[in-house]
Order: sequence, then C-alpha cells, then structure tokens
Amino acid sequence: MKAVGLRILFYLAVVLLALIVLLPFLWMLISSLKTQIDIVAWPPKFIFSPTLQNYYKVFGEQDFIRYFINSTIVAVFAVGVSLLLGLPAAYSIARFSQRRLAMVILLARLMPGISFLMPWYIIFSRLGLMDSYVALVLSHVLITLPIVVWIMSSYFETIPLELEESAMVDGASRHYIFLKIILPLSGPGIITATTLSFIFSWNNFLFSQVLSMEKTRTLPIAVFNFLSYADIDWGGVMAASVAIMAPALVLTMIFQRYVVSGLTMGAVKG
Amino acid sequence: MASLQIVDVRKAYGPTRVIHGVDIAIDDGEFVILVGPSGCGKSTLLRMIAGLESITGGEIRIGPRVVNDVPPKDRDIAMVFQNYALYPHMTVAENMAFSMKLRKAPKPEIEKRVSEAAEILGLTKLLDRYPRQLSGGQRQRVAMGRAIVRDPQVFLFDEPLSNLDAKLRVQMRTEIKQLHQRLKTTTVYVTHDQIEAMTMADKIVVMHDGVVEQIGAPLELYDRPANLFVAGFIGSPSMNFLKGHLQGGRFVSDSGIALPVANAPAASDGKPIIYGIRPEHFILDDTNGLSAEVSVVEPTGSETQVFAKFAGSDVVGVFRERVNAKPGQQIRVIPDPNLGHLFDEQTGKRI
Amino acid sequence: MTQNSYTDSNIRWIYPLPAILFVALLMVFPVLYTTYISLTNWTLTSGTAPSFIGLSNYGQVLLEPRFLQALWRTFVFTFSAVAVEAVLGVAAALLLNRVFVGRSVVKLLLLLPLVATPVAVGIVFNLFYDPTIGLANYVLESLGLPGSSWISHADTVLFSLVLVDVWQWTPMITLIVLAGLASLSDEPAEAARIDGANEWQIIRLITLPMVMPVIVTAVILRLIDALKTFDIIFAMTGGGPGYASETLNLIGYKYSFEYFRMGQAAVILMVLFLIVLACSVAITRLGKRIER
Ligand SMILES: Nc1ncnc2c1ncn2[C@@H]1O[C@H](COP(=O)(O)OP(=O)(O)OP(=O)(O)O)[C@@H](O)[C@H]1O
Ligand SMILES: [Mg+2]
Repeated sequence: MKAVGLRILFYLAVVLLALIVLLPFLWMLISSLKTQIDIVAWPPKFIFSPTLQNYYKVFGEQDFIRYFINSTIVAVFAVGVSLLLGLPAAYSIARFSQRRLAMVILLARLMPGISFLMPWYIIFSRLGLMDSYVALVLSHVLITLPIVVWIMSSYFETIPLELEESAMVDGASRHYIFLKIILPLSGPGIITATTLSFIFSWNNFLFSQVLSMEKTRTLPIAVFNFLSYADIDWGGVMAASVAIMAPALVLTMIFQRYVVSGLTMGAVKG
Repeated sequence: MASLQIVDVRKAYGPTRVIHGVDIAIDDGEFVILVGPSGCGKSTLLRMIAGLESITGGEIRIGPRVVNDVPPKDRDIAMVFQNYALYPHMTVAENMAFSMKLRKAPKPEIEKRVSEAAEILGLTKLLDRYPRQLSGGQRQRVAMGRAIVRDPQVFLFDEPLSNLDAKLRVQMRTEIKQLHQRLKTTTVYVTHDQIEAMTMADKIVVMHDGVVEQIGAPLELYDRPANLFVAGFIGSPSMNFLKGHLQGGRFVSDSGIALPVANAPAASDGKPIIYGIRPEHFILDDTNGLSAEVSVVEPTGSETQVFAKFAGSDVVGVFRERVNAKPGQQIRVIPDPNLGHLFDEQTGKRI
Repeated sequence: MTQNSYTDSNIRWIYPLPAILFVALLMVFPVLYTTYISLTNWTLTSGTAPSFIGLSNYGQVLLEPRFLQALWRTFVFTFSAVAVEAVLGVAAALLLNRVFVGRSVVKLLLLLPLVATPVAVGIVFNLFYDPTIGLANYVLESLGLPGSSWISHADTVLFSLVLVDVWQWTPMITLIVLAGLASLSDEPAEAARIDGANEWQIIRLITLPMVMPVIVTAVILRLIDALKTFDIIFAMTGGGPGYASETLNLIGYKYSFEYFRMGQAAVILMVLFLIVLACSVAITRLGKRIER
C-alpha cells in the first residue's frame, strides 16, 4: 500500500517537472496561434479559435525568410570551418594527450565572448568587413570550434590505439590513417559535434547583434527587433519565436542520444 | 551464527523465470558453495538471501526467522561482492566501520572491532588509505574485513576471487578457509571455479538453469555424481562419456567395444546407457588394454594428458606416467572397472 | 614514404596548427588589444586616435557606482541562480535515476530548454511576466497570492531573471548528474543496504559523495556560464528598469556599442575576463585534484 502511494507521488513529481519544463514552449505555441485580441485578454484565454495568421504574417515578410537563410548560411559555414580546423586538432590532442593545447582551445568556450567582440568590431570595421558573412562566420567559429574539439577529442580517445598501430605496421602514413581509418569510425562523434555546434551557432545572439546589419542579419536579431516596435505584436513575436526554435528542437529530438552525450561528456569523465 | 533454510524458492523477472524451486538446508557454521555454469542463477539466489532481490515464491529462513519480507539491513548478514563494492570516498578504516556506525555502536567498540579485523586480515598498515590506493588483493581483504567486523549471522560471497590473478587466488582461498575455521560463521559462497568449490566447501550445491542438480560433500559429488550434468560439471578435465548399452554385466559401446563394469545391475540389460569414466581413471595396460589412437599429447610435468579416439569417441586420459606416443600412434588403455559411472540415457540419472 | 616521414613525425603540432592560429588570431590577439585599449582614452565616435593615459580608466571605472553595482549584481545573479540550479538539478537527477515508464520522454523534455534560443526564451518569459496580460500573475492570483511586478520593477527584476536562468539551465545539471549516476556501479549502494543503511542514508552517505566530483564540475561550468549571461537579460530588460538589472556583461556591451567609450569599456571587459579566467583556472585545478 505504501509502495503504491510512493509510486503515485513519484509520478506526480515527474509530471509536475515535465509541465514546468514544457510550459514556456506550450505557451509560446498557444500564443502564436492566437489573435492579438485573444492574447491581451484577461484572464488569459485557454480556449480560443486557433489561427495561422501570425505565421502568414511573419513568413509573408520577405525579410524573415532572408534572416532564416542568413542564419542557416552562418551556422553551416561555422560548423564546416570548425570541423575542418577542429578534427585534426582534436585528434592530435587525443593521441598525444596534449592537455595544455586542449585547455587553450577550451578557454574560447569559457571566456566571455564580449571581451573579444570589441576588438573584432574595430578591426572588422577597418577592414570593411562589417555586415559580411566572413566576419560573422569567423566569430561563430570561435563558439563552434571548442565544441568540436571538446567532443571529438573525447571521442577519439575511445578508438583503440591498436587499430592505428596495426595500420602503421602495415605501412600507412599518419595522415592516411586519420583520413581513412579514424574519421570513418568517428560517425557518432561527428554527428554529436555537428548537431551541438550547429545549435549553438544558430542560437547565438551577441556576435550577430554587433557584427551584422541589414544584409547579414540572423534570426535571433530579427526576433529581438520585433520587440522594439512601440506596440508589441505578441502573436507575431511568438510565431517568430516558434520558427526560430523549431530547427534546434527538431534536431535535438532526432539526435537526442548524441545531444545528451555531447552536453554531459566532459563533466562525467571528471 | 545461524542455520539457513531455503525452501522451494522461486524467482521470476516478469514472465522470465530464472529460479524454479530451490531447496537447500544449511547448518549452523557450514561453508556451502554454490557452483554452476554462467547464468544458472547463483547470484540471483545469493541476492535473494541478502534481500537485494525480492522472492517470487517459497521461503528463506535465517535461524528460525522467515526473512522473505525483511529488508537487507535487518537480516544480519554480510556480503562480499565480486567487485568488492568498497566505498571509494572512505578510507579502509571508514569502510570497515561504516556498518557499525549506522548501527550507532559506541566509538571505542567500533575501533576495537576494526583493529581486530584489520589484524586478522593484515590490513593494519593500510587503514588510512583509500580503496584506489590498494592492490586488487588488498581491496579483496578490505571487503572481507567489512564483512567480519560485524560478526553477522551469515556471510555471503559472490565470486569474490574472480578478479584476482591465479597465484593470489590460491592464497586468498586458503585465507578465507582459515578465516572460516576461526570464525565458524555460516557461509554461502558463489563461484564457478570448481577447484575453489572442491577445496573450500563443506558442502557443494550444483545448480543448472535455475534448479539444484545435486547437493553433497565435494568428494561425494566427485565419486557419485547424481546425474550426467553433475558428472560433466565436476572434475577437470571433464568426465568422458560413451554411448551404448549393458549386456551381461559389461558395457557395450555403440561402436561395439565391450568394457568391464563392476557390479552392473542386470535389470538394465539392453537399455540405452551412457557410460562415464574420469580421465584419471584410465589405466595404461599394454597387455589387456584396448587400443586408442592418440591425437594430442599434453605433458604438464606432473602428469600427461592424452587426447585420443577410444571406442568410437573422443576421450581424454590423464596419466601420472610419461606417455611418449606421437599423434597417430596407438596406445593401449583400459578404464578402471571399479570407477566407471552408468547413467540412464533418457533421464540422465545415475544407475 | 620519405616525403611522408616529416609530417608523420611532426603530426602532433601540424594537425592542431590551423586551429591554434585561428584561436590566437581571434582570441589571444583581441584580448591583448583590449588590454591596450583599456590604457587609452578613446571614444570611437569622436574620430580621434586612442591616446595613452595609463591606468586612469581603471581608477575611474572601478570606483564608479554603476560599475560596482553591476559587479555585485553579477555575483548575486550568478550565485543565486546556480545555487538554486544545483539543488533542484541534483534533486531532479536523484528523482529520475530509476527505471520508470516514460523515462526517455522526460529526458528528451529536459534537453529542450538547453537548446532553446535564449533570446526567444527571454521573449516568451516577457509575455509570462507582463503585468497586465501575463500568465505568471494569473497563476499567482488563482492561487490567492498577490501579483508581482516581475521585470518591471527594480526590486523584483533580478529575481525574475534568475527564474528564467533556473528554468533554462537546471536541466543541464540534472542531465550531467544523471549521466554521472549511471556511470556508478550499483554495488556500493547494495553493500550499504546490507550494511544497514536506509534509502536516505544511502543517498546521503554513498551516492552523493560518489557523484560529488561530477556535481562540482557541473556547478563550476554553470557558474562560468551564468557569469556571462547576456542574451536573456538584454532581450528581457536591456539592463533596466533604470540600471536595475545591469550585469558586467551588460554594461560592457553598453559602454562599447552604445556609448562607444572604448577605453572605459575595455576596463569592464578586462574585469569580466579576469573573473571568468580565475574560475576557469579553478576548474582545471579541481579537475586535476579529482583525477588524483
Ligand atoms: N533483472 C533481470 N531481468 C531479467 N533476467 C535477469 C535479470 N537479472 C538476471 N537475469 C537472468 O537470470 C539468470 C540468472 O542470472 P545470475 O546473475 O543469477 O547468474 P549467475 O549464475 O550468477 O551467472 P554468472 O556465473 O555469470 O555470474 C540469467 O539467465 C540472467 O539472464
Ligand atoms: Mg553471478
């Protein structure tokens, strides 16, 4: 009897937890389906006739699509560049236990982005690179590169050394081994690194806020700018918020296992 | 100290039944070893005795008390785990004192018991170390120390030596045995190493697929295995088996070779029979022996193992003598007529 | 073979070289540059070149009440958020560390706040907190409690922002601790059960001490990230009302990109940088200690 009571209590706690986690997402979704009148109603309406008009409005704007594309371009290139730079670095860190080197690259993950941002701002202005994809991608790589290095060096450490040693005995060069043996075995690690670094680039606000203007503006900035209108169009903002969160959330649901392992990796190893 | 009764105990994980009615009676102070192949339910049974697994059916009694629904902490047992389960964040002394602290024993009492146990196990110098600073054998000893400080009714061991190297294993085997002789605590010990079983046990329980195949003293199991499974499981190398039938007091193999059998029951004439003979019960006999074709010879120094084709089957023989035969050559051997075993082919039971 | 042997024997630094150059160029150089700027008197909009003025920016900024308040607020925000996250996160992990129906769904749900775009999260909470139409006050009032002014009043704004951070990042600690718990062997807990410990004693005396290194790492990671919180504060209050929710990151941003007082901004950035650096050094020290 006591056991059953505890069981019920446990499930109540879990449901409560789940509700708290979900509530902001649900409220965002619900509000995005309301008219402005329903949104400003008091008490808040839980029953209403849903409408897609907010989505039509947001996606109807030419610019919103462009911001979406900008965000995608920046994230894709940032991930690509950081894989290119990060994979060999991570391999070297894993194989030669270069802890100091790892620390230097990880500092980029730990340090506040704003302390690099001001000099970038000055230098990119001098070079005429403000509002350019190049500047934006470079800045985002500083976010994504540490993620790639962190995840991939842990991953490479799990690949047995014997595999490389036997290839070396067979006469393969290090470079060949890395390209033809290590990388093909690193699928799960690369998926983890790619997913997480894509999401973090996608969500980045500060760098894009400072370095981009009209041409290269990314989604987070666009959504933020909605707020600055005098009379906030809550339905539109919520629809835009849904649109901006959707890719990251969907990626997470698809690659759940990888995202969990990526986020918890280093900490558990101690 | 107490006796331990296991009466028709069953265990199922949902629909999967893993233990099907086990009965074991253990006297006060006895050292009982559970053996059996991997997955036969030894650990499960032990954990049910400990209270770490619920009991699906039957009854477990420690002393006069039925403990089915008694939580582990109130069963007054101690358990040594395969991986020792030392508390990594506590020193050796703290590990050993933990259970007494939980019981709110007075401090001087705890200290006295811990230092006594450390003395017995040779851990006195290591009391301030953490488990990660110990060797495998030392960790093993701490695990035992943790068990003995409490002076429990029953000791439970789950393959406590399987993580040690061969030499240390032999040494610890003796130490555990000595410890038992000194403390005389009722002990249930799980292993799948039959040398451990043979050398340490007062009584061996052979399990297979969740049932008890036979219970008995080590040599009893060796000399009179109750069925084919026990016959094959106890002894190394395993007993050789030949198929055939009895005829006029002799065993005739399917390939037509007749072997002498002392006091074969006449009633079984003609029935399908399995004849078992231990490797060490072959006798080299150039005059009366039957021929066997040697395939491999493995001298170990003290004895020689010979793999050969005999009476239509592959068999192995162990001889104290040196055997110089080469593969392909014939040797002449005869099974000791007094030491053959007969089993009913259908039921597997000893005849 | 021969033309490969040079790369082969030097692969340990050839492979990481591009990444190192990149980090040096985009991180190390800017930090040095910021250090230099902090020693100059420079307003970007004035069109004049930076002129060297020694440490006088430091004297000025470090004594300014607005800065000192932001510094204090940064610590208050960070420590209160992370303390709550640590307690709730570990408790949730202990709660969820068992087999139950729907476990994988709950774990997926826990991931969602972590990957949600912070700016958008801030906006959603703005709608929650809205004093006239927000769900937050509706919930309070239906529970018979008085409504709060949330982010629109200086007294409650920091607390409201802490709540957002707690909502978004507690799952991080839960997930890390859950992974830590999963990597523990069951045996010590079972041994303790036999040794006479009850459930609560097992958690307190065995499980928690064994995952403590993981908890500490997770908490320090969170501390470092919480110190740098920018997106939600900027999106929700912009540092307001007045200066009531300005943290170091926020005034660093404002001095740089709103007032363009680069010299003074650089001082603020240096302070933030040094605090985070100190925490990062602590984390590596700790990491080494735990390894031993
Ligand atoms: N939680 C469980 N759910 C379902 N089946 C289980 C569970 N635990 C154990 N079993 C099954 O119970 C049987 C007995 O397991 P047990 O661990 O007792 O074997 P064992 O004799 O100790 O083997 P070993 O020598 O390998 O330790 C096995 O077939 C195992 O697969
Ligand atoms: Mg077992």
